[in-house]
Order: sequence, then C-alpha cells, then structure tokens
Amino acid sequence: MSNTIEAEGLVKRYGDKTALDGVDLEARAGSVLGVLGPNGAGKTTAVRILATLVGPDGGVARVGGHDVTREPAKVRELIGLTGQYASVDEKLTGRQNLMMIGRLLGLGRAPARARAEDLIGRFGLQNAADRAAQTYSGGMRRRLDLAVSLVGEPSIIFMDEPTTGLDPQVRAELWTVVREQIARGATVLLTTQYLEEADQLADEIVLIDRGKVSARGTPDELKARAGDRRLEIRPEHDAEKAERILAEVTGLRPHRGENGVISVPVLDPALPPAALRRLDDAGIVLTEHALRRPTLDEAFLALVAAPAEGLTDHTAANAAERRSA
Amino acid sequence: MTARNTFAQGMTLTWRSLVPLRNQPGELIQLLLQPIFMIVIFVVVFGAMSGDQSGAVQRLLPGVLTQVALTQTITTGLRLAEDIGNGVFDRFRSMPIARSAPLMGRILADTATMTLTVAVALLVGSVVGFRIRTSPLEALGGVALLLAFTLALGWVSAWLGLRARSAASMQGLATAVLLPLSFGSTALIPAANMPGALQWWARLNPVSHLADSLRSLFTGGPVGANVWITLGWIVAITACFVPLAVRTYARRIR
Repeated sequence: MSNTIEAEGLVKRYGDKTALDGVDLEARAGSVLGVLGPNGAGKTTAVRILATLVGPDGGVARVGGHDVTREPAKVRELIGLTGQYASVDEKLTGRQNLMMIGRLLGLGRAPARARAEDLIGRFGLQNAADRAAQTYSGGMRRRLDLAVSLVGEPSIIFMDEPTTGLDPQVRAELWTVVREQIARGATVLLTTQYLEEADQLADEIVLIDRGKVSARGTPDELKARAGDRRLEIRPEHDAEKAERILAEVTGLRPHRGENGVISVPVLDPALPPAALRRLDDAGIVLTEHALRRPTLDEAFLALVAAPAEGLTDHTAANAAERRSA
Repeated sequence: MTARNTFAQGMTLTWRSLVPLRNQPGELIQLLLQPIFMIVIFVVVFGAMSGDQSGAVQRLLPGVLTQVALTQTITTGLRLAEDIGNGVFDRFRSMPIARSAPLMGRILADTATMTLTVAVALLVGSVVGFRIRTSPLEALGGVALLLAFTLALGWVSAWLGLRARSAASMQGLATAVLLPLSFGSTALIPAANMPGALQWWARLNPVSHLADSLRSLFTGGPVGANVWITLGWIVAITACFVPLAVRTYARRIR
C-alpha cells in the first residue's frame, strides 16, 4: 500500500475569492511534508480538500492512491485529521471522546476502552481523562485532539496548525508525538506558520502564499536558495538608513530583527566589503557585523518577498510581524 | 457500509448525545426544570387566578405539555448547528462512517430526551392535581401523537440548524418560528376569547389542533376532527421537511 499524498493544480474558490490557485503537493510514503505559509495563505483549504471535507474546483488529489473526489470513502479509511478544524466533543470527557471514535471505527467496547487508555497514557491526560473536554486548557485540548485522530492508527495524518498558539513546552511534546508517528511509518502532512516547526519536522517544505506555491524544497535547499551567506550588521544608530544602504548595495530586501540586527543575503563575495564601506562613508557606526549561514526564517522572507522594490513595500515586514506575534 | 455498521454508528452517536446528561448534573437539571417551571407558572399560578384550581389544571396541563415539548424541538437544530460550528461534524465527515449516522444519532437522542420530558411533565402534572380521565389506550395515543408531532418538528429544526450560519442564529430563527406556533394557539386560551385576526390564526394553527387533541385524549370529551387534522399536519410536515433536511444535510456532509 502506498501512503502517498499527491495533488496537482488544486484550485478552490469561495465566491470571488481564490483560496487556492493551482497548488501542487507531493508527500512520499513515510515522509513529512511541511506546508508553510502565513494566515490566509490557503493551507487549511488544501488540508480540507485532501481530507475529503470539501471538493476542489479544479485539479486532482490522490491520498493513499485514491482520488479524493471519486473515492472519498477509501481515503477516509486511511487518514487521521487534527488541528484547527477537526475538533473534540466539548461535553464528553477525554476518555469518552476516545471511546466514541474507537466505537465509530468498529472497535468493540473492550478494545475501544483499551485503546483509549493507551492514548490517555501516551498523551499524559491521566489526570484529566474523566473531565469534560470543555474544562481543558488549550494545550490539553490539542493533545486530546491529536490523540483522537490517532485512534484508528491512520497511515496518513493531516495536521492543520497543530501547535498554533501553544507554548514552547507543549509544542515540543507534540513534536515528539509527530516523530513517533513517522517512526511508525505514517506519512504526515503538517501545516504551520512556524518556520522552526517545519525545519524541525519536515523532510520537505512547500511554501504557500496567497493560494500559490512560492517555493518548495528541503529545509536545507530553501536555506541555500536564500543565499549562501548573510551579512549581519547591528548599527548603533540610523537603522533605517543602514537598511536602505544594504538594500541598494545587494538589490535585496534586508530583514530587520527585533534585536536591532539587520541582515541581507549576499550572493557575491565582493558585496560585504562594499556594503561596509558604504556604511562607513555614511558615518554609521556598527556595534557588530558578521557573515553567516541563513536561518530558515530569513529564507522564508527572502523567498516570499522576492527582490526588494524599495522600502515602501511592507508586505514582507507585515508577514514577519504576523509570525512573530 | 453494511446496515449493521450504520446502526451501530448511529447508536454510538446517540450515546454521545445523551451522555452529557449523565456527565453534567446541570444539563439534566436544566432539562427537567423547564417542564417543572412551565407547569408551575402556567398551570398553578393561572389556575389560582381563575379560582377553579382543579378545573384549570385539567384544562391547562395538556396545553402546557404541548408548549414544553414544542420548545424542546429547538435542541435538534441547535446541536447540529453547534457540531457544524465547532468542527465536530468535520471530524465525523473525515471518518469512514455512514454519512447518515450523525443525523440519525441526533434524531434518536432527541426523541429519547423528548420522551423523558413528556414523562416528567405528566409526573409533575399529577403532583399538582392533573388526572387522566380516559382509558390507558387513549392516553397513550395522546403521548404518541405528541411525540410524532415533535418528531416532525424536529426535522424542521434539523433543517433550520443545518442551514443556519451559527448556533446563535439557529436559536433566533427557531424562536421566531416557534413563538407564533406556541402562543398563537389554543394551548392555553380558547379561540373564542381571542381577537379576530389571532382567532383566525389560532384556528388554522396545527398546535391548536394538537393541544385540543391532547385535552380530549387525556381528560375526555369529544375528540372530533382534531386528531385527524393533527395527523394530517404530522404527515405533511414530515413529507415536506424530511427530504428538505436530508438534502441540506447531504450538501453539508458531501
């Protein structure tokens, strides 16, 4: 059996809004595909199509070898869905939620109970198992939601922003669970707004922005594409001016970090000395400057923002704010 | 999907809809308090006002019972709208289960709670002095007629809930439909005591026929055409709204 996910030219419109505009996705069996993008990029729409919840307006998608529009029942037997849209029943306890799903999937009463017990243990929900889910904290709900999606031991798992809004400790716990599923041989499609998450978990990343794929590749490939090295400076003053000079010298949009560090990809080895000279000429004092490999964060910005069109273009800055918020 | 699987899944989802009543005492108390309050307010207070307490109880209780049951039909659509709104429905839809199971579970669970409510209302009625004067068969016929009518309205409720944008808008919509049906009827006041236009509406209103049927079936007196008219309405509403609800449901679950 092939646990693959393939989508070609997916199109989805809501009224006159185009949520997906020809998206191709591919996840090899047993791999993790990270679908990365800001809010409203179309990530959730893509997951909903692949999980047979909505039909595409164009394109084809096969999950586990089955066409999502022609054989949705076959697809549903293979998948587990978790995240923003699949949810738990608030009025049931954690244990009852797990029992219900087990029974719906055809387990007998005793096996369903055993399965629930097992998942309660693995997800650290022992103390909350007999409380109604509406009393759970955000992190506990996500854990329960993920546990519920694993009751049927699905071979293909869709996780739609499973860790959005969670604190780092809970995120790390959920990452462990994702890694366990990969070790078990499951194929995972994970959407996220967090670059770090995609970097940590994904074998391959597809970057979606406004319904279109803007880049794809392994985390390393994406980092490489953003430039071999980056010039980082920390000006003592006149940060705006320094940023403008870097943009002029490199022709790319610099990224300004919260710590006052301005960085920009440098493809040509002659550029850093030139940039430093220009900054010196302008009388800008640097408390720090360095050349280093890019982070995925910077790769993302460089790929989404493409070449700088002067400093009036705030799209990339806004995208960065949304993610850091 | 075999019929047996479908049935088992429907039963699991019926359990899922009923188990909160056991989980949370508040839910059960809320369910039971509604008939108790309605009976105390309308039957006891209005009865005391009229001077003839026992006659008032006999006359008013079937009407209040009708209103209690009617109000509860909102639940079907409300819970469906909630399930759609908070994503539970999507969870079911992403699973290899019969498409009809969630709707079936909802309707079965609501029929069970409706039966419980009617039983509680009759019990509370007997505490405040209501006596069934007819044969057990007639009384059971009355209960069956009420349950059949609320089941028919349950499909209207399901249809509204499946179409609604949110649970809150479903509640508003359902109240707008139910208020004229419930209070513009002869459930509490005879049509003869109403002003012209209201009288015309009350005589047309299926709830009037239902309440008058229940009065005859529980306390005696000529049953007349009321039962037949009520049955006609049940058939008409069911024939209209089951296909509408199922079609809307099919579109939502696709």
